[in-house]
Amino acid sequence: MKKTSKTVISILVLSFLLVSGNLKIYGQSIELPNGLGISNQLEYAYDSQKDLEILENWLNLDYRNGIFSTGFRLDVFQPNDPNPSISRGKNRFADIAYKYVQADIGNKREGLQIRVGNYYALFGRGMLLKSYEDRSLRVDNNLMGVKLLANYSDFQLTALAGMPENADAERKDLIHAVDLEYRGIKKVKLGASVVSNLPQTEANARTTLASLRTATSLWNFDFYGEYGIKKNNQIEETVFGGNESIVGNAFYGNLNFYYGPFSLTSEYKYYDNFALMSNDGTVIYNTPPAVRKDYQYILLNRHPSPLDQNNEQGFQLEASLNLSEDTYFSANYSETKTLNSGSYYQRIMSSNVIPRMQFKEFYVQGFHAWSKDVKTIVGFGYNEELSTNTKNITPILENRFYLDDMNTLKVILEHQQTTNNFSGEKKFDDVLVLEYLRSPKLSISFVTEMETTEPEEGRLVRKFWTFIQLGYQLGEHTDLSFLVGSRQAGNICIGGVCRYEPEFNGVELKMVTRLF
Amino acid sequence: MKIMSIALIVLWMSVGIYAQDVDKAPNFMLENIDGDLVELNDYLGESPILLSFWATWCKPCHEEMVQLNRIYEEYESEGFVMLAISTDNEKSIAKVKPFIKSKGYSFEVLYDTNQEVSRKYYAQMVPYTVIIDKSGEIVYSHMGYKKGDEKKIEELVINIL
Repeated sequence: MKKTSKTVISILVLSFLLVSGNLKIYGQSIELPNGLGISNQLEYAYDSQKDLEILENWLNLDYRNGIFSTGFRLDVFQPNDPNPSISRGKNRFADIAYKYVQADIGNKREGLQIRVGNYYALFGRGMLLKSYEDRSLRVDNNLMGVKLLANYSDFQLTALAGMPENADAERKDLIHAVDLEYRGIKKVKLGASVVSNLPQTEANARTTLASLRTATSLWNFDFYGEYGIKKNNQIEETVFGGNESIVGNAFYGNLNFYYGPFSLTSEYKYYDNFALMSNDGTVIYNTPPAVRKDYQYILLNRHPSPLDQNNEQGFQLEASLNLSEDTYFSANYSETKTLNSGSYYQRIMSSNVIPRMQFKEFYVQGFHAWSKDVKTIVGFGYNEELSTNTKNITPILENRFYLDDMNTLKVILEHQQTTNNFSGEKKFDDVLVLEYLRSPKLSISFVTEMETTEPEEGRLVRKFWTFIQLGYQLGEHTDLSFLVGSRQAGNICIGGVCRYEPEFNGVELKMVTRLF
Repeated sequence: MKIMSIALIVLWMSVGIYAQDVDKAPNFMLENIDGDLVELNDYLGESPILLSFWATWCKPCHEEMVQLNRIYEEYESEGFVMLAISTDNEKSIAKVKPFIKSKGYSFEVLYDTNQEVSRKYYAQMVPYTVIIDKSGEIVYSHMGYKKGDEKKIEELVINIL
């Protein structure tokens, strides 16, 4: 056994012994000491066609005592996911990738929180700073340093200094950030933020982002607006010859209206050269609202449009109407375009391109309960995207049959027609999902997908993927999922951030355990 | 390698099966959809609390919310508190209040936009339900929703009221 494996096993066994050493046994139950929390997520996959094995394990251990709390996360990837953005060039990886000590002085409303070690942070809606972990996307841009959070009267102040990890698992940038929020005026919230990134190389200048934001409510209306600017002396001098003081700007606005069973959400975005990136360009520290819709259906997520903080403008409208508890409708429309030639982005890139439609999307959905035992969802999606030059038409039909108080059967049919605008070539995808659910512990899903292409006229080529997934809750604390079969390649996208999952053929085990 | 995988699986299976929830619920303060700050400690020790982690884009969450709302309306007068914690990120947070208003739900809805509270309660996916009893101890946690789950929740709420 190699040294790394021995180290990992030792740490895992040690942490387990540490925990179990303090356990009290009551019959068959194990009670953790007060203040201790543990969470473990394990994912194992074996692709039989590629003869590829991946083991990923995240172990979180947190302890609270009085005003103090501490914890760590042990990441083990052996062998690692070969995707370079996940593996960071390493075949095996085991490390305490996240650790912290925190003190909460005073109370939550008027007090101070000091945290040393790793932390996440979000200012406003992420336009200036969003440091977060999303395990399904394998994104973790945590900062390592110090974070202060102070609440006094109607003010909340967040100040931090920290170093994020780049794609080579090195912390070479230093971020300083301050956010002040005031909520002393009834129904009005005001905020101001400044974030700066100082690369640890002399060749690059400091980049600073600043913004002002407000959120107000009046009668049945809510408004949120944020405007930000970007500064970088190097770009100011080399691109603009010192004649301009800012090198990028951004605006995000959101207006909501609701009246009885009707609601309307409208959002507008304008992001011009506003990405705050690591010195090597591999990690992004800000994620403003993408102004796109999130789906849970398989085919509607097949053609995503990733967020570009540097070069996009657009809007989204979403309306919903609840006629009754048994019948409701929603409709969504969004557009994303590139910026015009006078934008900071185009001037910095020395390009002169007219605005182009990047992404256009329309989705309508209806829900109706025919009886207390039969419910139907009908959906229809249409989108066009520039990156793949395709348009997609996607009808969805979902039926839920409540067999009795404990057993449910779900049948979902998805169809998608993809047309390449350039060549006129068409592709058809059909997905059938049969899902049996038995409360509270069991679920069994059968998912099959058929892809039909016509490379030459009259010659149809069909490909199939089928898998069965078993979900089971072990005891009160562990959720287990076991998959066997083949799965089509696709993207997982959350908030405009996407991760590509290659085609898979084999077995997959996922297990989540949480203990308080 | 294989021995390690098997050891890890067996270890966490056995821990998960034999452990029980008894820890004091971690405190938090979040903003509600009306812009006010809500702290868990304001309710702790006075009444049983149900924390429901959900998101606007999550279909099972919508299914579960109808049932949780029914339970909330039935036992609210007896002191039962429900805090629906939205895990919608910056992309979909704008849709939370319109969704709740158009459905006419009256329970407290809080924003956990960067998942600070979700991390404290190990909410790795939604829907995720946690029940805290009058003494402030976590007595139930459940991931996902299947029709029928609400029965156990209701039984538990009645027992701890």
